Amino acid sequence: MRRTAARLGLWLLVAAIVVFAVFPFYYAVVTSLKTGSGLFRVDYWPIDATLANYLAVFREQPFGRNILNSMGVAALTVAVSLALALAAAYACARVAFRGRGLLLMSILSVSMFPQVAVLSGMFELIRGLGLYNSLPGLALSYMIFTLPFTVWVLTTFMRELPKELEEAAIVDGAGPWTVVTRVFLPLLAPALAATGLLAFIAAWNEFLFALTFTLSNEQRTVPVAIALMSGASRHELPWGNIMAASVIVTVPLIALVLVFQRRIVAGLAAGAVKG
Amino acid sequence: MAEVTLKGVGKRFGATDAVKDVNLTVADREFAVFVGPSGCGKSTLLRLIAGLEEASTGELLFDGQRVDHLAPARRGIAMVFQSYALYPHMTVYDNMAFGLRRTGLDRQGVEKRVKAAADTLQIAHLLDRKPKALSGGQRQRVAIGRAIVREPRVFLFDEPLSNLDAALRVQMRVEIKRLHAALGTTMVYVTHDQVEAMTLADRMVVLNDGAVEQVGAPLDLYHRPRNRFVAGFIGSPRMNFLDVTAGGDGTVALAGGGWLPVPAAERAAGGQPLALGIRPEHVVLGGSDLEGRAVLVERLGGGTLVHLELADGATLTAATDGASPVRGGEPLGVGLPPPSCHLFDGAGLALEAPP
Repeated sequence: MRRTAARLGLWLLVAAIVVFAVFPFYYAVVTSLKTGSGLFRVDYWPIDATLANYLAVFREQPFGRNILNSMGVAALTVAVSLALALAAAYACARVAFRGRGLLLMSILSVSMFPQVAVLSGMFELIRGLGLYNSLPGLALSYMIFTLPFTVWVLTTFMRELPKELEEAAIVDGAGPWTVVTRVFLPLLAPALAATGLLAFIAAWNEFLFALTFTLSNEQRTVPVAIALMSGASRHELPWGNIMAASVIVTVPLIALVLVFQRRIVAGLAAGAVKG
Repeated sequence: MAEVTLKGVGKRFGATDAVKDVNLTVADREFAVFVGPSGCGKSTLLRLIAGLEEASTGELLFDGQRVDHLAPARRGIAMVFQSYALYPHMTVYDNMAFGLRRTGLDRQGVEKRVKAAADTLQIAHLLDRKPKALSGGQRQRVAIGRAIVREPRVFLFDEPLSNLDAALRVQMRVEIKRLHAALGTTMVYVTHDQVEAMTLADRMVVLNDGAVEQVGAPLDLYHRPRNRFVAGFIGSPRMNFLDVTAGGDGTVALAGGGWLPVPAAERAAGGQPLALGIRPEHVVLGGSDLEGRAVLVERLGGGTLVHLELADGATLTAATDGASPVRGGEPLGVGLPPPSCHLFDGAGLALEAPP
């Protein structure tokens, strides 16, 4: 009897968490399928479902282009962050040099500054480099928040790899590059998947830099494009389109998480026990 | 095939000397074993030869040519690590081929050498497996295989058997010895296990506190230890040490009041305090040199260890045959055969018996 009650309690708790996490998204899906005055009626089930909003999103603005931009920027951010972080992690975890702790702390401290605090300085930097209103410029600015954690996570993981493995490779005639790419890289795959995904999500969702460093509709990423959607008149917000767009941009993230789920769990669990 | 020479090699880590002024030559085709307690610098010394550590002082020569400035891979060495250090994401074949591919050998050449090594070690059927699908002994073989394919001038082993269980350790010990006979390569082997050292070594190097205590054939070290440290380290169970006083006429005074003629005692002045060392297997139960009482009897089947407490409170271990009727608590006389007695002066140095 008590066991049943305990299980019931557990399931109620799980249900509460799921509702709290998933309901807003579910409501967005429901709303995205409604049009006209139906948008302002509270419904918990899709009634008179239509895909009109989804079509309108792509018809009324270069939304396809915006999605490609987001993907490009996020992919570029992830690729460059991981490459740089891998090299940095090798140095920080494997090469003994003076000031290593200080360097790691300063890398971490970069992530302390709120985005707004670095916004104007970053704007000048991007302009100075001639990257204003371009995708590489966005990717560059995103590294300010992706690099600190990718470097830290990969450094921690690389420290866990046995030193003898590297020494065996050195005796086998491998230089640092071969050690990193042929020995460490495959072993760090779960960590790379986990940190790469987090970096992707961060870049995908970023709003402030994307708003500030782009000018034209063709260079905008999805979060900015959604925020700047406007209706026929100044006083009308196209809720249907906004909801449809929100649903569209959430789907790739969910797909990515599902694809990499097992690797992420492996990445989080690795290092807990020695293999 | 190479002769390894160390000249005044030292290594400092910060303020501590891990290795102090080691002068040593390992002859071509010799099996040398570095042995000593943990922290004695034996692994550091091996890593200096490998090139994984850089010596602070001294020179390292292979066949009379300096190699200290060469990268490990250029020295012509191969090393077997304590944890095997196999690449977990590669198959056994790739593990063994990894180093060969770095040398620029073509595919057929790599395959031929890997196959040959796998046959030697009887792991040919495991070539497609990943290390995690192997048992401890198989992993050890792969690690050795990875070393063999490089056809090194010098093999280095860093406590390769300490991760194996006791039965497998004995088996692999025999195989390593056989491998040495088959390959005829110079081998340097590090262990803290003196039984492993005794059985494998052509020549043993006993290290303590970063310095070489004694170098010699295993039985030389057993019979003629140069000092008290070596005497205590070699042999299991440990050598017994008793406080005695030199009589000045080739005898020593035992704590129990008796006098014992020991050849080496001629070297000591009368009244000089000495330590008398005798191995448990040389102690004779039922003798009349000392009086004691058996406090603990350990029966090992093939032999019996008798732990005695002597009249003056000192302890003594005696090894005797398995059928010994000795029982705990029993009073016993102990005999110390003079030819088996070693004498050490106050500084721990052995007194040499006159010829």
